[in-house]
Amino acid sequence: MAEIVAAALVSHAPLITGRPEVSRPEQRDRFYAGCHELGRRLRAARPDLIVMFVNDHLQNFPYSNMPAFCVGLAPAYDAPSPGGARLMRIPARTVPGQPAWALGLLEAGLAAGIDFAYSHEIESWDELSVPLHFLCPEGGVPVVPVYTNCAAPPLPAPRRCHEVGAFVGRFARSHAGPERIALVASGGISHWVGTPETGRINSDWDHMVLDAVGRGDAEPLGRLTHAEIERDGGNGGQEIRNWIALLGAVPGWKGEAIAYEPVAEWITGCAAVWVHP
Amino acid sequence: MDHRLRGGVGAPVIAPSYPLNKLLTAVARQHVSRDALGEEELAGHPLSPEESAALLAGDIDALYRLGANPYLIRRVFRGRFRI
Repeated sequence: MAEIVAAALVSHAPLITGRPEVSRPEQRDRFYAGCHELGRRLRAARPDLIVMFVNDHLQNFPYSNMPAFCVGLAPAYDAPSPGGARLMRIPARTVPGQPAWALGLLEAGLAAGIDFAYSHEIESWDELSVPLHFLCPEGGVPVVPVYTNCAAPPLPAPRRCHEVGAFVGRFARSHAGPERIALVASGGISHWVGTPETGRINSDWDHMVLDAVGRGDAEPLGRLTHAEIERDGGNGGQEIRNWIALLGAVPGWKGEAIAYEPVAEWITGCAAVWVHP
Repeated sequence: MDHRLRGGVGAPVIAPSYPLNKLLTAVARQHVSRDALGEEELAGHPLSPEESAALLAGDIDALYRLGANPYLIRRVFRGRFRI
C-alpha cells in the first residue's frame, strides 16, 4: 500500500520569482524562508511521486475547450518553458511526469464517476514552476498534475473539488506503483489580478482560510460560493479550489502556516503551509 | 455589459465574451506585452463596437467590464497595469 508522506499548500504567482526586487525585503525573506522550509520537509519525506493540485491560466485550455478537471498524462513537463523562464526568471527545465500512474488515476476516476479530462501535453506556467522551484529544486521526482478550472467561470463547486481530492487521496493510497506520495496544492489565497482592483489583497479572508486549514476543517471552505470567493478573495482567490482538493485527500490533517505575507507587489497573499496528520 | 448575480450573494459575475476572449487568447500566446491592438488584428472577429474600441485603446478596465478574462487582460496588456 502506498502512503501519503507529505502535503503542502503554497501560493503561486509569476512575480514571486520574476520580480523579487519589488517586494519588501522582510516580507520576501520570510516567505522565501517558508517555501524553503517546505522544500526541506518535502525532501526529508523522500517522495517518489508528487501529485499537484493546480490550475491553468488559459495557457493550455482556451474557451473553446475548458475542462473542469484534467489529469496530466505527459511524460514530462516544462516547468518552466523557455518563455515562462524569462517571465519568472528561473531556469527553464523539464520535470518528469508519471503517465502510467496518471492513466490509472484517470481510468479509476472515470469508472467511479469522476469525469476527468486528460492531456498529453501541458505547458506549465507558474502553477507548477514556482512551487517546484522552491520545493523540488533538483527536479528529479516525477510529477502528476491534476488541473482544476479556477480561472474561467463557471467553475466547479468547491465541495466538488473536495470530493475530487478525496478520490485522488484514496487512489493514491490504494494504487500499486509509487509508494511514497507527496501532495502539493498551489494557488490562492486572496488576490485580484487583471481586474480593476489588481493588487488588492484581503488579509482577513486569507486568515479565515488559514484558520480553517489549521483546524483541518475543510467544511467552511467547501461551502464557499463562487460569488463569495470573488467578493472576498478576488478572482485569484478562486484558486483556493486547489487547496480544498488537497484537504479532501488528507481528511483530518491540519495545516501549519509556516509563512504568510500579503505581498501587494506580487499581487497575491503568499502562504506556505505544511499539512500533517 | 451583462452583470449577473449568481447564487444570490457576493460579487457580480460578468458574463464572458467569447469573441473577446478568443482573440485575447491568440494574442496572449504570442508572449508579448501590448499597449493596444491594431485594426488588422481585430479583422474577422465578431466583436461589438465597445469591445473593438476597448481593444484599440488598450482600455483594461473597459475590457474587464465587457467580459474579457482578467488573466488574459493581464497577459496581453501587462504594461498597462500599475503593478
